Amino acid sequence: MVGRILQFVLYPLVALAIGVFFLGLARKITARIQWRYGPPLVQPVIDMIRFFYQKSVSHGPVFAVGLIMSLAGSIVVVLFLPFGSICPLSGSGGLLVVLYVMLLAPMGIALSGGQGANPNISIGISRKLILALGYEVPFLLVLLTVMTHYNTISIVQVVEAQRDIGWSIASLPLFLSGVSYLLILPAMLGFRPFDVSTAPQEISSGPLVEYGGKYLLMATIEHALLLFIDIALFVNLFLGGAGNPITFFVKMLIVFVLVLFIHAAFPRLRIEQAIRYLWKWPTALALAGLIIVTIGRS
Amino acid sequence: MDRNQIAKWFKEPSKMANKYSLHAIYFCTGCGIIEVPPVITARWDAERFGVIPVATPRQANLFLITGYVSVKTLKAIIRTYEQMYEPKYAVAFGSCPINGGMYWDSYNTIKHLDKYIPIDGWIAGCMPRPEAIFVAVTHLWTLIDKGMANGYERYKKYYRAYRRNQELALGKLEWPPLYPIGEHTEGGECD
Repeated sequence: MVGRILQFVLYPLVALAIGVFFLGLARKITARIQWRYGPPLVQPVIDMIRFFYQKSVSHGPVFAVGLIMSLAGSIVVVLFLPFGSICPLSGSGGLLVVLYVMLLAPMGIALSGGQGANPNISIGISRKLILALGYEVPFLLVLLTVMTHYNTISIVQVVEAQRDIGWSIASLPLFLSGVSYLLILPAMLGFRPFDVSTAPQEISSGPLVEYGGKYLLMATIEHALLLFIDIALFVNLFLGGAGNPITFFVKMLIVFVLVLFIHAAFPRLRIEQAIRYLWKWPTALALAGLIIVTIGRS
Repeated sequence: MDRNQIAKWFKEPSKMANKYSLHAIYFCTGCGIIEVPPVITARWDAERFGVIPVATPRQANLFLITGYVSVKTLKAIIRTYEQMYEPKYAVAFGSCPINGGMYWDSYNTIKHLDKYIPIDGWIAGCMPRPEAIFVAVTHLWTLIDKGMANGYERYKKYYRAYRRNQELALGKLEWPPLYPIGEHTEGGECD
């Protein structure tokens, strides 16, 4: 019982630590690819300490409530994702819960941004929601394929099934779905070439424009958790999860560095180019994967 | 970051974090814009020192004003400075904000920027080399360590005088005072 409570408390902190480490790694690797030395790996931690001690002005009650809502949604999703052998909330319907609660994070940011009343926020939020419309279609198709193939809606059971038959992405029926998930991963994480919603040069970093001080701290934590959630879901569904947390972390690291190379090398797409891409290649691959799995079952 | 600084981190985390995480907002009024891109890109990589450009004054704590300041841009500079959250540091880059520089007899530029917003550090030269920004950053670290980079406190203390100077230059201001200015508040003279 005590161990279970400890898991509830410690697991979100571990997820946060990994997310913050990924933020630092992103800045360092991007710098190295651009032939710069780059900041120290702990630079996001230094920034977060500064955000904590800086004064900030609220734009109204919803300004804070929306951020707290998105943070709470992210933490709940983290509790449903198995991290190696650790999984505090291993209910039978994990995948469906994750699917629904994941929407809380962008909705909370949108709610909070609405109170900020800055035109850049409105543009950023609308771009973010349009982009979400773009990647949700292939994402739902991919999850539907996985659920159909393994005949379950529990992430833990998906991981256990892969222990016997090998990684999903290496097996033929789910290969196309895995590739499709990889193709939409930069869009889900908000990395280039899909960082239209937080473009600093066009719309002054979009939804983040009015955040400073402790609000920016909460937004940074939310971003770090988002990095953890999307990559951990991919590792669980397609790379076979892991028996222990360290192997799981190494798998996450490899996927993240792969996404980071795309982030460092590509320029930003316009929003309609992003939608055209997301609804063409990833959707076609996910649809083909779903058809293959359905034919294989009947 | 040195290992022997860890004790300082535990003693004064806010001061140390302010030192090593300077998020800069650049106000490039004319010249000086060309010195900034080499500083933040591969030639002189400012991110090594934690200096990174941000897009909005809400996230920034370093305000870099480069080049001459005309009366019209002064209004934007004041509003940007007042939108930043404390603690905040302002650095003027080039000789024009110091004393007018080559525009010393122009009818339309501000001669002493320090009369209108408090400046924590000056970089002299017309134009300074990009390395000068690093010299300024290291000097700013020393000032923060000694508690001398207190422009935002001066602004609060002498706000009445700053506001009067701003109104002398710009006429009636469209925005309300940042700090309360009563009729009988003790406000010192700043120039």
